[in-house]
Amino acid sequence: MDNFEKLIQEKIALEVEAKTRRHFIKQCATGIGGLALSSIFMGCDPFSSTPKQKIQFSPRDLNPLSTMAPPFSPKAKSVIYLHMAGSPSQLEMFDYKPILEKLDGQPCPDSLLRGKKFAFIKGKPKLLGPQAKFEQVGESGNWVSDNMPHFKKVVDDVAFLKAVNTDQFNHGPAQLLMHTGSPRIGRPSIGSWATYGLGSENQNLPGFVVLTSGGKAPSAGKSVWGSGFLPSVYQGVQCRSKGDPVLYIDDPKGISRNIKKSTIDAINKINKEEYTKYADPEILARINQYEMAYRMQIAVPNVMNIENEPENIKEMYGVEPGKESFANNCLLARKLVEDGVRFVQLFDWGWDSHGTGHQTALDLGFRNKCKDVDRPITALILDLKQRGLLDETLIVWGGEFGRTPMQENRGNQKMSFKGRDHHGDAFTMWMAGGGVKGGVSHGETDEIGFNGVEGRVSVHDVHATILHTLGFNHEEFTFDFQGRPFRLTDVHGHVIHEILA
Amino acid sequence: MNIIMQLLGRLHPLIVHLPIGFIVLALILSWYDRKEKTFTNGIAISFLWGGITSVLACISGYLLYQTEGFSFDTIKIHLWSGIITAIFCFLAYARKKDAPRFIVFNRIRSGFYLLILFVLISITGHLGGSITHGEEYLVEPLPNSVKSLLGIEVFEKQEIILTEETWEEALLYDAIIHPILNNKCLSCHSSKKAKGELILQSPEAILRGGENGDVLVSNHPDKSALYTKLVLPLGDDDRMPPDGKTQLTKAEVRLISEWIERGNSFEKSNKELGINVELVKSFFPRKINNNYPDVYVEKVIAQFIDSIEAMNVYVEKINKESHFLSVTCINQPTFEDANFALFLPIAENISMLDLGTTRVTDAIFSELKKLPNLTVLKLDNTTITGENIKELTSLQHLKFINLASTQFKEANLSTFLEFQRLEKVFLHNTDIKAGNMKAFAAKEIKVDFGNYALPTIESDSIIF
Repeated sequence: MDNFEKLIQEKIALEVEAKTRRHFIKQCATGIGGLALSSIFMGCDPFSSTPKQKIQFSPRDLNPLSTMAPPFSPKAKSVIYLHMAGSPSQLEMFDYKPILEKLDGQPCPDSLLRGKKFAFIKGKPKLLGPQAKFEQVGESGNWVSDNMPHFKKVVDDVAFLKAVNTDQFNHGPAQLLMHTGSPRIGRPSIGSWATYGLGSENQNLPGFVVLTSGGKAPSAGKSVWGSGFLPSVYQGVQCRSKGDPVLYIDDPKGISRNIKKSTIDAINKINKEEYTKYADPEILARINQYEMAYRMQIAVPNVMNIENEPENIKEMYGVEPGKESFANNCLLARKLVEDGVRFVQLFDWGWDSHGTGHQTALDLGFRNKCKDVDRPITALILDLKQRGLLDETLIVWGGEFGRTPMQENRGNQKMSFKGRDHHGDAFTMWMAGGGVKGGVSHGETDEIGFNGVEGRVSVHDVHATILHTLGFNHEEFTFDFQGRPFRLTDVHGHVIHEILA
Repeated sequence: MNIIMQLLGRLHPLIVHLPIGFIVLALILSWYDRKEKTFTNGIAISFLWGGITSVLACISGYLLYQTEGFSFDTIKIHLWSGIITAIFCFLAYARKKDAPRFIVFNRIRSGFYLLILFVLISITGHLGGSITHGEEYLVEPLPNSVKSLLGIEVFEKQEIILTEETWEEALLYDAIIHPILNNKCLSCHSSKKAKGELILQSPEAILRGGENGDVLVSNHPDKSALYTKLVLPLGDDDRMPPDGKTQLTKAEVRLISEWIERGNSFEKSNKELGINVELVKSFFPRKINNNYPDVYVEKVIAQFIDSIEAMNVYVEKINKESHFLSVTCINQPTFEDANFALFLPIAENISMLDLGTTRVTDAIFSELKKLPNLTVLKLDNTTITGENIKELTSLQHLKFINLASTQFKEANLSTFLEFQRLEKVFLHNTDIKAGNMKAFAAKEIKVDFGNYALPTIESDSIIF
């Protein structure tokens, strides 16, 4: 008797054992009732010519990641979302406020503070001038600080959103809002919506890959790349740039690839038998998942290996193979998008510049953080451009909120390092690539950068715009759950046409 | 007391259904009663109660009119027809009872009362419905063609169409302002609805203003409600159009403001008013830049796609409605020139083709020219030298060619100048270096030679 038959025997034996008296009593009410119902409905169907109808499956039933055409012609095929977890200070990077410089050290006007809540600021905080030098660069003449010297080269490919606002001022909820459209857990992330709506071209790789750097995962946890109420196959797959890219991707010791193959074949054979019995498409999806996982064992380590990239590319990004770094992740993001991955999500932790120490001081640790991302981000844009991929890849950059124009005064005391508190009323994000106009700056903040005064956009507006570039109308892209259709933007959101080509 | 009156008034929509019920019951019973005469008493009682409840309906209706601020003109016919209904109910009751005092009415056939009452409740009910739901409530769902047959005015969206040649001569009001108001404001501010007593249908009506006075102050948009309400934050109670209705675009708001600032003329052209071309640019016909040509192709037969996908080559529609297809060999690195025959049955429909990282050679070009609607072509990471690329000059729609990481020869570069609609060529990581590209610039062809680098700068080595 060969192994396969042995397995079948074992399965039958287990099934028989499982059928106890208790099982019969539990099942018979619904079981017999269901049988009766099915025969009643069978008689009701005026169109059934034969008693046994052939079940038709869509490609989606068999492979949940199979590609689907979007409702409208998309401008972008894939998305690379660069999230600076902790939220960088827009006032030291892109939002130049010369008047804030003059008002450095002055108390913040009461009118601005009335009714506001801050995470740490207490009492009467003082304004803090920009801790960087700014320069107008490129043909567009947009402002960039000396914290981002390389980035100045690509400023004409980028569309700034200078007055984004969020109603959350703590990291976890703000990150959830930024990635799922709701500050509470349970909604699918943007990447899940994108892979659910479009599928993924490469059948050997996951459609939604997440890469983290900076030593910590984002505060909101894995829900920021979760699939919420969408089928779990659409959740982000976290890959590591250090060690095995996916945990347990290697076969265990003593198991060869051939044994693995025959194991999967045997499991799939049983599953196919199961399928002929119950005709449940979930079983076919499961068969597909086993096969994809098997192919991924080869494809993922391959695409996640940056050692084989040419020297000049490695230098451009400033990669450090073998380590966990944002630069490595940027290069990986390009490789993944090149191989047809739909959504690549990068998180870089360590931007929470409160000024409680050297690491979080705006004139010290923060500048090191800027250095860590300046070169890789610039390289990513240039590299996508030269490969003809920038036209079909949307890059989104931002934090979960911005930072206050006031210096943080934790415990209502003067702090020895310069830092800023969380601030959601106005902050900067930018987009580049697929479908986005380069060299644009949309929105403006007031003289000290406290509030948006023109072109204010919400997190939902950003989501609507991302979906728009992928070919979706955010108001019509829905998933039915708990008795109503859900959207990424729920009941909000307007597409920001001003930055679209 | 006022509260009770108002409350009773608001019960009117409930009470009105009682007389309707009684009268209809009387009508039905009368039908059964034609020969047998067994229900006569019941019919009489129905009429009596129809009359009593009609009186109650009239009283509550009158209270509603008094407390809710309806104008007498809107309700007068409804009111009178209601009162007449009540009277006829009692008359019909008297007829059924053969009351001797009403001998005059007994000479009239009882069928006459039934007919009159039926007509009365129909008219009264319809008028009441029109007051609460609006005149167009019933006909609104009808298609426009039926509506115009019935003589009902139909809302028609007016497209604003300007071209680079005609925009200067066009009258600002006629060509732009009126269509904007028509499309975005008239659903509430027309002579039919006139919310806030404001009508924006004609120059005279606009100048007349609404219940809060003028909406226009010539030369001062910031004092004109017609402009200031447009720029209130979305969600503000006074914002126009209110949240949820189609909003004006930025350009439209700007133009309304400019129009007022320049004296809200109804007769002057854009040129006379000195309108800047930037303001009207958004109304020019859009140049569509799609990854597929602007031609019609037939839908392909699904079997052809199945046989291609069986080869592990993905075929997907450009969008859900389009018949154009995007084809990618991303999962099939062993794709060769010989496999191209697979694509021939869908040749007309392919607008995007990704043959990157496959085994295709220069021989592929004589095949590729069989795809008349090809717009985007990717041949990156192949051994192509561009030997036969001349073949592709016959393709009318080809816009993008990606030849990054190939062995493309510099000698073949000038062939691109002969292409008909080429926009971008990617030649990153080939042996070619950027030379004199003037000829390309003149034809608006962008050639990207790639090989970008980020040289080290001083600040790279600083650690703060």
